[in-house]
Amino acid sequence: MPVSVKNDYPSEADETLVKWAQQGDTEAFEQLVFRHRDKIYARALMMMRNEDQALEYSQEAWVKSWQRLVQFQGDSSFATWVTRIVINLCLDQLRRQKRVRTESIEAMEEESGGVERQLPAPESNPTAGLEQDELRRRIDEALGKLTDAHRTVVVLHEFEGLEYKEIAKRIGISIGTVMSRLFYARRRLAFLLQSLKRERSE
Amino acid sequence: MKSTEQLLDLQAYVDGELPEERRRQVEAALPADLNAQELVTGLRQLGTLIRAYEPTATVPVTREFYWSQIRRQIEAEQPKAPAASAALGWLRWLIPAMGVAAVAVVVSTQQTPREITLAGGGDVTVVDVSSTVFRSESDGVTVHWIQ
Repeated sequence: MPVSVKNDYPSEADETLVKWAQQGDTEAFEQLVFRHRDKIYARALMMMRNEDQALEYSQEAWVKSWQRLVQFQGDSSFATWVTRIVINLCLDQLRRQKRVRTESIEAMEEESGGVERQLPAPESNPTAGLEQDELRRRIDEALGKLTDAHRTVVVLHEFEGLEYKEIAKRIGISIGTVMSRLFYARRRLAFLLQSLKRERSE
Repeated sequence: MKSTEQLLDLQAYVDGELPEERRRQVEAALPADLNAQELVTGLRQLGTLIRAYEPTATVPVTREFYWSQIRRQIEAEQPKAPAASAALGWLRWLIPAMGVAAVAVVVSTQQTPREITLAGGGDVTVVDVSSTVFRSESDGVTVHWIQ
């Protein structure tokens, strides 16, 4: 166990805190939780769209990350590693609730090319003139209007940077379905953002 | 109007997911296809926009409350502290070893039973220094005397 004064923790880099935590230092781990808790919670909230569940799964992700800490080799940042854990927890939950694999009428239309044709192509600058906080809020609102299945592929692709193949594997769907859902989700987002812009100008 | 396959190909082109040969074909066809150009630009800008303004959120409980729940679970599932578990591990071996040793001591110190024939037809068997067995064949009685 490293000899350290408690006040040192906030000024230490993640890498150092992780090493200490791997040796059983719970105060170092607490500092990591404090540092990244909002990001982990935000990702869970984006996936689940429910504050209680987001809180529960984000905390569960921290517990799991403590239990698996020895497996963390530093191939990615610590925050990215914990984010992947919380995403897996949320995906498990969504799968259990059949929220990501269920084929709705909308999904069938989407995959047959029906709805996507009725939506506009993404506009060059659908949110011009909005303040940053407002923009962030509107994007969140638009994401919230997507189905779980569509929002999940957007989160995994746009925010987690996963390739189609990896998304397909994680969700348990075909690559073609990933592409189709992503395309539909993007067009719907563009449509929703344009609608919000129109509302604002009226 | 483009087919679904063409639309998805353009998206895969934007996402860098097309095989090299197909990517070259799409790139070659783009300058002459205004609709495709618009779609590619729109998809790129949408991606840039949502990544730049990724929604954020703040944990809706205090730091202490959030951490206390995590800590409780960690402590509940955590194995004992290394020093304590090492001591327990040692005891785990020590206790049976002590039992075996005790049995060995008893066996080694146990005396060969000695029988004494009494005048009345009974036998006295001395099994160790602290116990005596009296058996009377005629009366059909056995008495254990423990000192």
